This record gives sequence, structure tokens and C-alpha cells, in this order.
Amino acid sequence: MSDFRELRDAVARGDVVAAVAAARRDLEDGAPPLRIATEGISRAMTAVGRLFEEGDCYVPELLMSARATKEVFEILRPLLAQTGTKPLARVVLGTVRGDMHDIGKNLVGALLEGGGFEVIDLGVDVAPELFVAAVRERRPEILGLSALLTTTMTGMKATVEALRGAGVREEVKVMIGGAPVTQGYSQAIGADGYADNAASAVELARRLIGAERPQTAEG
Amino acid sequence: MNRQQWESLVAVIRGETLRPLPTAFIIDSPWLPNWAGHTILDYFTDERLFLEDNLKAIRAFPRASFLPGFWSEYGMCTEPSAFGSVSVWEPNEFPFAKKVLRSPAEVDHLEKPNPRKEGLLPFVIKRLQHLQAEIEGAGHQIRFAVARGPLNIATFLMGTTEFLTAIKTDPERMHRLLEIATDYLVDWIAYQRECFPSIDGILLLDDIVGFVSRRDFETFGLPYLKRAFDTDVTVKFFHNDAPCKACAPLLPDAGINFLNFGVQHTLSDMRAWTGGKITLLGNLPPRDVLAAGTPADVERAVTDMLNAVLGHSRLIPSCGGGMPPGVASANIEAFIATVDAVTG
Repeated sequence: MSDFRELRDAVARGDVVAAVAAARRDLEDGAPPLRIATEGISRAMTAVGRLFEEGDCYVPELLMSARATKEVFEILRPLLAQTGTKPLARVVLGTVRGDMHDIGKNLVGALLEGGGFEVIDLGVDVAPELFVAAVRERRPEILGLSALLTTTMTGMKATVEALRGAGVREEVKVMIGGAPVTQGYSQAIGADGYADNAASAVELARRLIGAERPQTAEG
Repeated sequence: MNRQQWESLVAVIRGETLRPLPTAFIIDSPWLPNWAGHTILDYFTDERLFLEDNLKAIRAFPRASFLPGFWSEYGMCTEPSAFGSVSVWEPNEFPFAKKVLRSPAEVDHLEKPNPRKEGLLPFVIKRLQHLQAEIEGAGHQIRFAVARGPLNIATFLMGTTEFLTAIKTDPERMHRLLEIATDYLVDWIAYQRECFPSIDGILLLDDIVGFVSRRDFETFGLPYLKRAFDTDVTVKFFHNDAPCKACAPLLPDAGINFLNFGVQHTLSDMRAWTGGKITLLGNLPPRDVLAAGTPADVERAVTDMLNAVLGHSRLIPSCGGGMPPGVASANIEAFIATVDAVTG
């Protein structure tokens, strides 16, 4: 049985072709899709996220690892569905109203997906009422709000207030992040948590749903 | 900047240690109009307000230099606008430039704009020309040509995620994009200098270089920054408030001699990484301390910052980035007074 090292190495170096080939080989060798997802992809992306957090991996490399992860999940997703395997949780992500920046949100989305979460990305410049509609319709466990500008971070507060006004605030955990955001701001607007980088956003998401931390590629 | 402020800046860059150290801040639309009691959109669209707000700041804080000084800007929209990017304006928010490239392949059809005629660039020039007599009458001069850097422009044209992915998947096209952006920048800087002969400095702002590895900076950053800065001016000023440990040792090779950086690194680390060749402008936490703190917090943090760095040569105290929204006058006064007290 594969130890998924080839897959992890390919994901870590952002080699899409090699990652897909390794995943296919693992499946042909009889590896269960869930083990490929958890022991291959999740562990690789956890390691990549940690390197990124420590400044030893840069945004382009992380984006390439995310691409590799996405391609492998395209293969695994129907197989996981057949076996009734569910993601850790569903996360709806978006950059708040008035803010067109997507890099932070995309990095968080990539690491969450690699970490076993289902991610629904609403994109940028998302109005509070659209977040409310997504919470009602998609029933996520977590809502992730991103903003890069001090002038737009007020959209986070408006979104939390809109959730309250619509009576759905208690149905979802709200986590926020972005360059101008602080823990103090998170508390002030009544969010459930704040992460100061993409890797710690995954840790925060796990804490918010009470999930355990997976091993890294080395562990 | 007035003559004395300019001469102090140049003296520090040449290695003189002034007592007290001069204090300087980058100020622009995120802070200035709201501080002066106006909306951001009014500041952009009303030349009189632009002049009055800048003069108000200068008169309120005569002991501080404001960089680049009478910065005629339209936020992130200025340079992308000449490529046909739609500028999105809200009454009191920072404007945003929409993407114009939907895929790397569209770079093949991208043309270098003419800064004399296209986008918002003629408006940038005309605003300053209309006000030049009053600016000079107040004892100040236009000292800097200002522009976003080549990688920053590239990301506004095609999106940050898309550009940073494409340098891995389609590097040749990304070089082509950076060549077009840099050719345009060189023209834009030259045109500003032609319009304002008092210009003797260049300010380029580019946070994207902080997102890439040293190897990628050597390939996609350094050659283009070097070309953009390759002109005969005294001050070559660079702003990047993203983490920039990887590229910092190479910044002197781009010709940069003055750097504003973020709060992720200490003054001492940045001095070591740049080999002491660059004058540092920084780096009090802009949001957590300068905006959110009390004057006592600012005094404490500035004192700690200045005491933590060994020697005060090639240093101009400031915050780590531009002046953020919401900074109160009392905090700026506390900053200046503390610098005077600690370094006087």
C-alpha cells in the first residue's frame, strides 16, 4: 500500500501533473480515496501552510500547491461521494462589499480545501445580504470574511449585523481575516475568530468546529 | 516638501546623522481627506480641497515632512487607468481598478499606454500644474515623480492570484507584461520630470515584490525595478509594506536608497539585510499603535523603536507604511515630540 509520499511531494512542489499521476497510481493500487485525501493531500497542504506561515514558502508556490490539490480533488470528489464521505465542514468565503482583493481569500480557500473542508467561494465585493443568503441556502458551518483595506473592513461589521438582523447569526461561526484586521476588531464586531494568515485560518476553522489537527507531512 | 525638509532628507540619505532625526510620513487619500474633514471622493475631484487639505497638514505639523508631498493620486487607479481599467469610486472609500486581462494570453494584445494622453495621468499632471504656483508660494516644491511599481501594475491588470500563478505557468508572457508595464513606467516618470523640473526623486510603491521568493524576485522583480529607477535623481524611494525579507538584500541593486517597509521586520533586521546601504523610513505599527493607540502608547512605542535600533544613521522615523485612516493629530504630535526627545 502506498505511503502517499509521491503525492505529498508533488503537491508540496506544486507539480500538478505529477500530483494527479501519483493520485491515480494510489487509486490503482487500491488506496481508499479518503486516505489519499487525508494522508496525501491534507498532510501535504498542512506542511505547505506551515512553511508559508514561517516565511519559507511564498505565494506563487502556495498557489501552485493549491492548483495541484484542486486537480487531485477533481478525481477524488466523485469517489468520496460514492463512499458517503463528508468533508470536515462547509465554509462559505468571500471578500466583503467594496473590496476587490482576492489573494488572501484564495489562499485561505486553498488551504481549507486541502485541509478537508468544502469551500464555497462567493468571490469579491460581496454584499452582506449575499452572505446572508448563502448562509440560509448553503448551510455552512463557517462563514469566512476577508478584507484588505481599512476602508472596506467595515463591511465585516455590516455582514455580522446583517446575519443578526436576518436571525441566522447563531447558525454559523464567523471568522475574519485580512491585512487591517485584528483580534480586537474581531471581538468588537462580534465575530467568532480572527486569523492573521492563511495557515492559521485553517487552524482557526478546525477549532471553531471542534476538529482535531492532522499530522504534517513529516509527522 | 520645503527646501529645508528636502535637504534634511538628502543629508540623511548621504549618511549624516541629524539631531534630532527628521520625522516623515507618507500621506495620501486613505488618511488625509478624512483627517481634514472631507470625503475621499471630494478630495480626488476638487483641486481646491486637495490643496487645502495638504496645506492644512503641513501647517498642523511643521516639524514633520510629508512624503512624497502634494501627492497627486487617484489611489490604485492612476496607472491601470491608462490601460483601460475601469476605476470604481465610492463616496468615502479607496478607489479600485478593475482587471483588464482575463487570461495570460491577452497580454499578447496589450499595448503600452501613452502617459501624456491616456487614463487619469493627464489629470494627475494638470492638478499639480494648476496648483503649482500656490504650492511654491507656500514654500514647497514638487520633488518626487510617483508611480506604482511594475509588479503592482501587473497585478491590477490581471489580478494578484492570476499574476502570481502565471509567473509559474506562463513566465514568458509575464515577462512580456512586466516589460510593457516597465516601459510605460519609464515614460510616465520621464513625463512627470519633464513637467516639474524640481523633481529630484522617484517614489515607486510595489507590495507584490514581498509575495515572491528571492529567486522569483531576481527574475521578475529586480530587472524591472532597476530599469524603472535607472534615472539621474538623488532620492530613489521604494515602498513595500508586505513581508520583504527575501528581496531586501537585493533592493540596493535596484538603485533604491530610501525604503519604507512594513511592521513584519525590525529596523535592525532591515538595516542588516540591506547592508546599511539604504535609508530606512519606519516602522511604527501604523494601525495598531499610530491609529488605535493613545498618545502615551505612541510615545512608548516610538521610544522602544528608537532605542532598539543600534545607531541612528540612515534612519527617518515614521510608521511602517503610509499614514493609515483614523490617525489623530495628538498621536502625530506625540510621535514627533518623542523623536525630538529621544534623538535631540
